[in-house]
Amino acid sequence: MWSIVDGYLGSYAPLGLLALVGVLIVGGGFFANSLLRPRRPNAAAGKRDTYECGLDPVPGGWAQMQIRYYLYAYLYVLFAVEAVFLFPWAVVYLQAGLAVIAEMAIFVGVLALGLLYAWRKRALTWQ
Amino acid sequence: MIDVSWGEQVVFYILAPIAVIGALGMVMARNAVHSALWLVLTMLSLGVFYIVQAGPFIGMVQIIVYTGAIMMLFLFVLMLVGRDASDSVIETLRGQKVAAIALGVGLGVLLGTGLYRGTVDLTPVGLAEANKNGNVQGLASLIFTKYVWAFEVTSALLISAAVGAMILAHVERRKDERIGQAAMMKERFLPGNYPGPKPGPGVYATSNSVATPAKLPDGNPAQRSISPILPLRELEPAEKADKHTLTGGHQS
Amino acid sequence: MDKLKLPDMDYVALLPMLALFVAACLGVIIEALVPRRFRNIIQLVLSIVALAVAMFFVVKQSGEVVASKALTAGGAIMIDHAALFLQGALIVLGFVALLLFGERSLEFGGPFVAQAAVTVGSERDREQTGRELGSTETFPLALFSLSGMLLFVSANDLLTMFVALEVFSLPLYLLCALARRKRLLSQESALKYFLLGAYASAFFLFGVAMVYGFAKAVDFKAIHAEALLGEGNSLLLIIGLALLAIGLLFKVAAAPFHVWTPDVYQGAPTPVTAFMASCTKVAAFGGLLRVLYVGFDGLGWQFTPVLGAIAALTVLVGSILAVTQTDLKRLLAYSSVANAGYILIGVIAGQQLGLTSVLFYLVAYGFTVIAAFALISLVRDADGEATHLSRWAGLGARSPLYAGIFTFILLAFAGIPLTSGFIAKLSVFGAAIDGGQTWLVIIGVITSIILAFPYLRVVVMMWLSEPGESTPSVSIPGGLTSTALGIGTLATLVFGVVPGPLLDLAEKASSFVR
Repeated sequence: MWSIVDGYLGSYAPLGLLALVGVLIVGGGFFANSLLRPRRPNAAAGKRDTYECGLDPVPGGWAQMQIRYYLYAYLYVLFAVEAVFLFPWAVVYLQAGLAVIAEMAIFVGVLALGLLYAWRKRALTWQ
Repeated sequence: MIDVSWGEQVVFYILAPIAVIGALGMVMARNAVHSALWLVLTMLSLGVFYIVQAGPFIGMVQIIVYTGAIMMLFLFVLMLVGRDASDSVIETLRGQKVAAIALGVGLGVLLGTGLYRGTVDLTPVGLAEANKNGNVQGLASLIFTKYVWAFEVTSALLISAAVGAMILAHVERRKDERIGQAAMMKERFLPGNYPGPKPGPGVYATSNSVATPAKLPDGNPAQRSISPILPLRELEPAEKADKHTLTGGHQS
Repeated sequence: MDKLKLPDMDYVALLPMLALFVAACLGVIIEALVPRRFRNIIQLVLSIVALAVAMFFVVKQSGEVVASKALTAGGAIMIDHAALFLQGALIVLGFVALLLFGERSLEFGGPFVAQAAVTVGSERDREQTGRELGSTETFPLALFSLSGMLLFVSANDLLTMFVALEVFSLPLYLLCALARRKRLLSQESALKYFLLGAYASAFFLFGVAMVYGFAKAVDFKAIHAEALLGEGNSLLLIIGLALLAIGLLFKVAAAPFHVWTPDVYQGAPTPVTAFMASCTKVAAFGGLLRVLYVGFDGLGWQFTPVLGAIAALTVLVGSILAVTQTDLKRLLAYSSVANAGYILIGVIAGQQLGLTSVLFYLVAYGFTVIAAFALISLVRDADGEATHLSRWAGLGARSPLYAGIFTFILLAFAGIPLTSGFIAKLSVFGAAIDGGQTWLVIIGVITSIILAFPYLRVVVMMWLSEPGESTPSVSIPGGLTSTALGIGTLATLVFGVVPGPLLDLAEKASSFVR
């Protein structure tokens, strides 16, 4: 029966087990909650009455977000994509010698120019 | 027939319907945020597919970059354009929607059957060789040797994206616009200015939108209470009508 | 594991690309460090120097092409005669278009908006329209785009080609959004171009995956060999080619993938339109030629009828819709669609004759179209360029020189003898007849006659109408626009009167190395 833990997919068996345990813990928690809580939580007297000073909820409370948040999100995505290239580089650069290190230096250097540009335009300080 | 291990089959038959449901949910959800979350479901399933098909690196990238970073960007865009913003249903070209659906389904059927016929008796080759030194190592040895030029040029792509995001989303302050605290205070108390804080927008039982002006003692709307770029929002008759909030919803 | 070895790089062959890339990076540094008022001139000089260096190495390299050594950078880049011709054409056309980018005398601050992030129509926007210097990030962006184009026409595998496609497209999307006037139109055009362009790129990438599934490789030599071998399921190959073609035909603006063209050409700042109309066409056709002639030439009998139908549709759509246009930039956009169709006819004609005619057509059309847009940028009123057709009525009486030049350019578009347009069309149609595509030539001639109508209507309007109250004046162009206009017009004339040298050059260049 342990043969299924061999091989490529088998190496993910611990991960799957972990996921299963996670689901069990969260699900068990909810289940335990449902056993412990009062049967009908909304039935308490006065629970649904309007609060004295409250507003009638009127739809459309949404306000447009400042576009500057977007800039941070965008810069983050750029460097996330850069990180994607860093992972494979990290596993080979010791064996690969100077050339590959130089390649990555150029790549990161060019991207650093983007950071320099953003910094000089004061995009990184909150105004 | 391609030999597929039973583990792979189990994962596929569980996740494939979920991926399809996620894709359909993304298209059909009325709420844009729900739509984005459906898309997350599909992307996660795809990530697991990649991992199961012996591409752990691309699977992880799919999860980290797509469901992580790019989905976050989607949500930011949604917050920019508004959760409630809906498409205009007016068609500028008549019959466009029908034609688009027909052609889209046609293309899907064409590609689907073509791909099915193209891959039904295909023998996959080269997986063991590609992953000989490990999946990530194999990728690295291609990226940093054979495709090194494409890799370096990607940095051009990323930097033009960064510059573009800066141009389109960042307003640069001119030097003369950046003034210190002392100068700002002096300007604030100059004659003709209103030194106090501006009143907030109107908060009524029926509307607390930022576009609703507060009322001055004489009943006129206070123009200072709303941002100048917002259009003035007049209350509609339904909103003006008594909501009986003070009587607990009962008509008195 | 084995030690990774960097592939051999022929840096001299790669220098044109490298020069533009480095200059673009320097441009970003300049944007970050140099005060705003000096940027335009510095960026312009830097760009021109970079283009000159790139051109020098292209010319130097063109004398030393050896088929066995043409492949470099680990097999990703092929520097053969055709690649060098296309690179040279891109550099020269890019130079002329960049002159328009730098023009500051027609309008305070140049053709680009100072701060694209300022809300359109706000107080701040009105303030910046007349008073702030335009942004100069346009230069590095254009250089990035150009270096991507140089790579695109010399890429030897589909993966590199895809990266190059993205590198040259992304800056274009951005450039479209930066017009100083009519900003909403400009932003709309950028968004449309971006969405449709991203969609087309996805098709291209999907096609790459299919072809890889068939050939187990992405480089053209292997694809060619595998297609000749005929083993495996060729359905994947055909689906892959179809999807690749969609991505490429979108970039050349062939019908039915042309719908973005009028909106984008109209909304983009005029220098950017000139850049797109000339350079993007060259790059996209260069890529298309390489894919079809190097990777997939074994499938000729399969794609030729489809491409023929697309070419016929393109010339018909372009010429018929051009007749109904009332805006000059839209008119030229549809004319550019029709021209893409004529070039496609040359592509289908095949053989060396077809290739020669396509290369000649691309260069000749590129110069003419830059001159046309340079002239459009001159005719302006208080709100910027006056592009509505009715505004041009009576221009001949106001400024006969510029009306005369524009007449000449329009006649070149219409293909009247003694212009480069005539020779270009003649050689394309000649090659098509030679290649057995007479039906396309018949459609081509008919649509040329249809297309002459809108051009002649503009000519008649300019010369035979009385100038009215609303006829705008023609601004006196600064040195840069005059140079661009002069080069474009002169090239149109010279290639029309003595086409020999360019045709010889194109003929020498019309061979791909596999």
